[in-house]
Parts: sequence; structure tokens; C-alpha cells
Amino acid sequence: MPFAYYARLSRAQQKIYRESDAVTEIRLSHPAELHPLVGALEEALGSEQRVATQAATERLIHGLTEALGIPRVTVEVLAARPHAQWGELHGLYTVKAGQRPKIQLWMRTAKQKRVVAFRTFLRTMLHEVGHHVDYTLLRLADSFHTEGFYKRESSLFYQLVPAARAPGSRGVKSVEDWGQVPIPERLARLEQTPTDLARLVRARTDAELSRRPAPDAWSAKEVVCHLRDAEEHLSGWMRTVLANDDPPLLETATADRWAEERQYLRHHAGAAWQAFSQRRDETLELLRGLDAAAWRRAGRHTRRGRLTVDALVALMAWHDDNHLDQVARALAGRA
Amino acid sequence: MPTMEDVAKQPREQRLARLTRTADELAAAIRGRSDETLSRRPDPRNWAAKEVVCHLRDTEELFMERFGMILGMDEPKLSGLNPDRWAEERQYLRNDVNAALAAFRKRREESLELLGKLPSEAWRRAGIHATRGKFTIEDLLTLICWHDDNHLDQLGRALEGKA
Repeated sequence: MPFAYYARLSRAQQKIYRESDAVTEIRLSHPAELHPLVGALEEALGSEQRVATQAATERLIHGLTEALGIPRVTVEVLAARPHAQWGELHGLYTVKAGQRPKIQLWMRTAKQKRVVAFRTFLRTMLHEVGHHVDYTLLRLADSFHTEGFYKRESSLFYQLVPAARAPGSRGVKSVEDWGQVPIPERLARLEQTPTDLARLVRARTDAELSRRPAPDAWSAKEVVCHLRDAEEHLSGWMRTVLANDDPPLLETATADRWAEERQYLRHHAGAAWQAFSQRRDETLELLRGLDAAAWRRAGRHTRRGRLTVDALVALMAWHDDNHLDQVARALAGRA
Repeated sequence: MPTMEDVAKQPREQRLARLTRTADELAAAIRGRSDETLSRRPDPRNWAAKEVVCHLRDTEELFMERFGMILGMDEPKLSGLNPDRWAEERQYLRNDVNAALAAFRKRREESLELLGKLPSEAWRRAGIHATRGKFTIEDLLTLICWHDDNHLDQLGRALEGKA
């Protein structure tokens, strides 16, 4: 059953509409390879920083176009959505002769200037990618909003975020999903990470470990150093929450600033792993000694709001997942 | 070298001015020195000049965090610090000293900007330090000045091969 505007289309356009409507799915052969990019985008959007969000969006869209074997697009992430008579503009796909097609996305709402929810942002992104798919993969002469179009958008969405269909199911767990996992299981995840990481990086040369898959994407070594420093930082927050009532949880740098300031690329990966492993043992020792009341103690984070020890452990487990995937990708030469 | 008590008696402007000079003084001290000289520890337990610069860079970030804690809640408990662990974990000896100094300079500028904007009552706000007890923002400024002096001195000695 076509949408009402179908009747107003020319016969040629109606033919395109029917072709579009008939395709209800876009299959990715290895969607799991894109999951870390999805996680990275969620993290970047959560940081509320436009440049980081643009870089992460670019990487995910590039990952998609590469997986589908279609041409690249230029990606622009902008701040507040423009007001428009028809409502707020969320995203835009434009093609100009002689230029690479462009996808523009807005990360803040027009009135409140709030950062849009991650899944909303991802949906909008896939919507615009969908127009590009119409022209380049399906080779349609026009890109209509057909029922098939929306189904294709959804099919991509659920391949990228399988947890959205079945919360808590296997696949990429969100921080919220990790929050539902029983504490012993979460601690087991944390305990397993140094071993998982060692399996990935052991027997690699320094050149392999130092190779960035893209100029702005970390090498495996930088991720190891990041895990080491994040461990000190997150366990520091836990200690602050345990020692103070409702303290502020402060960020003194972005992860990229640390990577640059502390010169991760010059570090020895094995020594960094050792330090991470040691810090992780100390975190686990701290957590295993806590009673139920201590797990409920909380601090205040400007972006994430109230964070309990329980929530910080969920964050840590999610963070581990995310960066283990990133190490595997970096070693495979993928951003 | 003045003690913490001596520094505490200096007017605030004098202490803030001291903070503005440190990056240049570090730059002058290391100028023209080889990486080998900058990386040489005077003895196995004492830092090389390069490690001192990295230490100043990382403590500057920590000082900012402490300011944030003290401004963000009443009398927070301030955790202790293990600088030797940082030197080891963050692999100071592998750092490029000029990049480390540039990072310190940037952090220091940010600190001075924050301190320059503090309303007068904020200087009396305090945290509880693990070993030093009650510690106001005013005290923290004094500590940073003394810390700068101390480590500039140490860096000079390290370059001469003295612990």
C-alpha cells in the first residue's frame, strides 16, 4: 500500500517508487565489525563534542559505505538544528555535480540546544545513508520515502544495534544493558579483560601495535595505554565516591588529550599492559571488599548525571568491550 | 630555596607571577641539552630532567582536579598521590621532553586562567588532604609555587648529575 503522495507522482516516478518499495532490507555481511564504531559514536556523542562526534560519525558512515561497496560521502556534523517551517531539520543528503555526495547531521535540538539521544542520531544518520544507498547501490533515479525505504533504514539499525531488538541479548551491550547484568558476572568480565587484551597484542611487533588504521584513529598500543589510564581514572572516581558524600566526578581531559599529552605512541605496549593489569587487580580487590550500601553510593557527573559505584562498574565493563573490539580492528587495519 | 612557610607569606600576586614564569624557566634550563643528558638519572632512584618535566605536566592536571573538587563540594577528602608510580606507568623516560613541556605550558595557562577568575571568597574554600589536613585553595597556590621551585631546582641538579 503506497503512501498518499504516490498518486501525485508521474508514471516514471511511480515506477521508481515501486522499485524502492520492493526492497525491504540491506544486509551487511559482517555487521559485528561495525559495532565498535557504533560504540565509539555513542561515546563521542555522549561527550557532547562536535568535532569528536563528526569524526566518529565519519568513521561509521565510511565503514558502512565500504561494507556495501559504494562510494564514500562527505560527512558534516553540525551543532543546533536549524529551525524550519516544517519543523527541525535532523539531517540532509545532497548531491552536487562533480562533488562527492554530502551527509549533514545536526547533533543538538533547535530550541533547547540539547544533544539528541544516541539512537535518534543513529536513526537519522542511517536515514541519510539510505538516500545514498538508493542512488548508488540500488541505482534508483530518485530516492523516495517509501515503506521499503524505512524498512531498509530499520534493517541497518538493528544490524548495528542488535541490543535494540532484544535488550540484554548477546551482541554489543550498552552501558544500560551492563547495568542489568548481575554483579558477579560484571566482575568476571572485568577480570577477563587483561587476558583478552594480552591474547590480542601478544607476539605483535611494535610497528604493528603502533600503526594507526586511520590518521585520527588510535593504534592498538594507544588503546592499551588508554585502558591503563582510564582504569586509574575510573577507579579514582570509585574511591572518591566511597570517601565523600555526593562528590563531583570531574574530567580533566578528553581521552584524545591524554593520548597526545602523555605521548602514548612512544610507550612500550607490554609495559602499558602490565600497568593496566596491575591497576585492574587493584580495582577488583576494591570492589570485592564492598558491601551492598557501598555499591549504591554515588557522585555527580556533569553529563551522565548521578553515577553510583554500580553504574561505574557497568560503565567500565562496557568500556572494556568497546576498546577490546577497537584493538582487534586496529590490528586488522580498520578504524 | 624558600620553604612552604616562606612562600605562604608572599602576596598572592607574587605567587601567581611565580607560576607564570615556570614554563619559560624550564625551557631555558633544558635548551640545547641532548636527549641523553635529559634522560640521565643522577642515580637509580632519582629522576632525570625529562622525568621532572613530565611530573610537572601531570601534577598540573591533578592540581586542577583538586581545585575542581574543592570548588564543587564542601571539604572533599583529597586522595594522596604516588609520583614514582606515574613516572614508571606513564613511561616518562620514553617521552619527548619538548612535547611534555608544551603540554605543561598549556595546562599551566589553563590553571592561571581558572585562578584569575576566582571570586575572593573561593580562596578560603578547603579540602581535606590525606597527610596535610585542611587545605584551602590559597594553600594549594602556595604548594604549587613551592613545588615549582623544588622541581626546577631538582631539574638543575639532575642535569649536573647530582641527586
